[in-house]
Amino acid sequence: MDLIKGLSQILGNNLITEREQKIPYMTDASYFQGDLPLAVALPDTTDQVAAVMKYCQDNSIPVVARGGGTALTGSSIPLKEMLVISLARFDRILEVHPEDRYAVVEPGVKLDNLNQHLSRYGFFYPPDPASSIAATVGGSISTNAGGLRASMYGTTKNWILGLEVVLPDGNIIHTGGKVLKRTAGYDLTALMVGAEGTLGIITKAIVKIWPVVESRGRILAYYDTIDKVGSSISEMKGMGITPLIAEFLDKITMHSLSETRGLTFPEDASYMLIVDIASTRESIGRELKEAEEVLRKFNPISTEITTDQAAMERIYEARKGAYSSLLSERSSMSERVVIGDIVVPASELPVALKESEEKVRKYNLTVALFGHISDGNIHANIYADIADKDHMNRVESFQHDFATIAIRHGGSVSAEHGVGLEKKDLLRMEFEETNNQYVMEIMKSIRKAFDPKGIMNRGKMFDQ
Amino acid sequence: MISELLEELESEVSKCISCGFCESVCPTLPAAGYDLWKGARGRVIMGRELLSSVQNHGSTNVSDSFYSCLDCHACLYVCPAGVNAGKVSHVSKSIIAGNGIEGNENPLARMMASVTMRYMNPLGIREKCSEWFHGMEADTNSSDLLYTGNMYQLMAYTQGMNHMREKMGKGMSLIMSRIISSLPWLIKLAPMRPDVSVSRKMGQSLSNIALLLRKSGISLNYLGKDEPYPGTFIYDLGYLDLFRQYAAKVAKILKESGARRIITVDPHTYDLLKNIYPKYVEGFDIEVVHYLDLIEGSSFKGGNENITYHEPCHFSLREDAYNKPLETLRSIAQVNLPPRSGRRTKCCGGPDELIFPELTQKISSSRYDELKETKSRKIVTACPICFSNLNKGPEVIEIGDYLVSKLKN
Repeated sequence: MDLIKGLSQILGNNLITEREQKIPYMTDASYFQGDLPLAVALPDTTDQVAAVMKYCQDNSIPVVARGGGTALTGSSIPLKEMLVISLARFDRILEVHPEDRYAVVEPGVKLDNLNQHLSRYGFFYPPDPASSIAATVGGSISTNAGGLRASMYGTTKNWILGLEVVLPDGNIIHTGGKVLKRTAGYDLTALMVGAEGTLGIITKAIVKIWPVVESRGRILAYYDTIDKVGSSISEMKGMGITPLIAEFLDKITMHSLSETRGLTFPEDASYMLIVDIASTRESIGRELKEAEEVLRKFNPISTEITTDQAAMERIYEARKGAYSSLLSERSSMSERVVIGDIVVPASELPVALKESEEKVRKYNLTVALFGHISDGNIHANIYADIADKDHMNRVESFQHDFATIAIRHGGSVSAEHGVGLEKKDLLRMEFEETNNQYVMEIMKSIRKAFDPKGIMNRGKMFDQ
Repeated sequence: MISELLEELESEVSKCISCGFCESVCPTLPAAGYDLWKGARGRVIMGRELLSSVQNHGSTNVSDSFYSCLDCHACLYVCPAGVNAGKVSHVSKSIIAGNGIEGNENPLARMMASVTMRYMNPLGIREKCSEWFHGMEADTNSSDLLYTGNMYQLMAYTQGMNHMREKMGKGMSLIMSRIISSLPWLIKLAPMRPDVSVSRKMGQSLSNIALLLRKSGISLNYLGKDEPYPGTFIYDLGYLDLFRQYAAKVAKILKESGARRIITVDPHTYDLLKNIYPKYVEGFDIEVVHYLDLIEGSSFKGGNENITYHEPCHFSLREDAYNKPLETLRSIAQVNLPPRSGRRTKCCGGPDELIFPELTQKISSSRYDELKETKSRKIVTACPICFSNLNKGPEVIEIGDYLVSKLKN
């Protein structure tokens, strides 16, 4: 109780201690259920975060930072008496400088809100995880989120210029800056991206912004086999066409979107490909036709070009909600959706996709496949009956084999969701399989240098 | 009844994967300082907590999570899984009101239900609610019944009630609520005074609505001091058994008036009578319309005036969205919509006024700022609750008043 008193002195009313009020913080968008936290801090200034961190380090209180609570790996849920530090109140866009291509934002700003604001200037912030309506700047930096537009713009790490970070001892540091180039010693900004709150707490970010595309069109293509989907995108990229987005969905996913969003798909289609092309007003028609020609080489069931922005938006929104919509396809109330997230080089996709399907059959699981195919990023959404031990064992074995496919093809076990709780073992496996155990040791040393008492998101990513 | 409600709750919360999309549009979450249990996802999670507590005969204190819900349903339209956190809140309040779990009922809610049951008006002021009609005559032979549902009239008392509550302090006002719940006649002794300017303003709006209908050739019946409140509070606060009895009484009064068509004037009454009454009152077959459906006979001066329209939740966020106000305004002006409009419209915060006035204040200020940013000369509302909460500047105008100002001759 003394710990609560101490926190209360720093935070006043910005501290939640009632049991019922703490319950929603035990959950994020993953299937993991956390423990009831010690308390929840809702600071509204960087100084308050710093004071809380110093207090926590002095008193060895483990902490977990929370953004939008959209993590898919359990990285933002509390374990064993942790203090949750919610950055939700850091929700201001502080500066926008189109001429210098940057904006200064607080970590609790939701990505869609940031982009709505930037649209007034004709600019946008490209990282676009499917959860962008709810995901925050801070959370997406901490997981190095990718998303749909990563096909053209890369992941979050490409768009962060500088950060304000509160370290575990309460010190406030500023990394990077407001310039597009900077070579000044180790890149601590890059180190913080994807660190999942294990090194410090981000309280401000300088993000790079970009002009919105002039014109955008979409090709929808439907196929009967998965290797055709992979081959068509691989061929397209080989020819020098970089789609703005390139997404694939399987039959289960299409069916769930019919059920929850009322979308319609050709009945004989097993796979759908959504390819967006960005170009100038003058060239968009020609470039869409060229891309469609490539897709048609692989015998699609049908293809269709649209530039109707409202229709495009409906499909885009549905695709972004696909993970949640999948729950409508489960066969029992105790089933959850466990989302896998591997990445392989795009040229390896046709084989990797085929192998993934074989593994689904091997373990007799129901798995919905979709993903950002242009990046070689496959999401295997496994229906996992958490009440059935045998079923959960098969889910785990599938996850293992699915990760092995990624490693064997020169990819990674985690493309864009981070590691959290879910991929701790897989991360270790990746380093072992690639003879890179020493990298893990370096990571541990770095973590210890920042957080000697091991209070930052303890138990996540890897064990100290 | 409770077991059916528990089933309904379980069915709704089990669809949720906790993605958090709903939190991005829930107006109460930022207003509550991002305290998650007062946001949409938090309410679904608290729905699970309530379910588990009732099923395991445990105790919990979850009421603030559900009573703070605005019932706007904004969450439903961004949920990829079709979960309605508003429905979760309503079903949970109904479980609480049905004594499904102890210690969670809000005394203010119980008081409003008790007083309404006794006086057919939440403040026991039916007679006062008919004062706006003085000087006009009802056509008792008409089968068109103008039904205000007392909604415009009650707005004049909101501020007074809040002042009274502030003066008494939270503890005392809860004690008083409990006492009045048992002895509802005590409400008559409460020193409640209407805000005279609001009362006049709301009366004027109702007169303008009546004028628009008359100009369109509609002859109106009106029940005056016998007009009952439709029971919105009783339903919204989850007193479903009471609501069933109450709605039957109201339906009987409406039927006995000879009405074949009920002309509603506000979104809450329109939604309740059109969508909820048929589910609770057997044989409720009177046609329900909104007055804007009937004013096509009126001629308006068209123009290029830039106005902004704030869409009420009970029109835009219900299954069958009612867009007549927007269509009408578009026929006579250049209508701007704020970024949050249509299926993403944002509540004015009004439904929290009774139990969480501080949330209402924050939500209405934030919505007013969003509407102001459109830089129109006028902000038009189509709901007395929205008008009362957003009326923070001279540019805010009620739709009936706006239309009358544009009448030809």
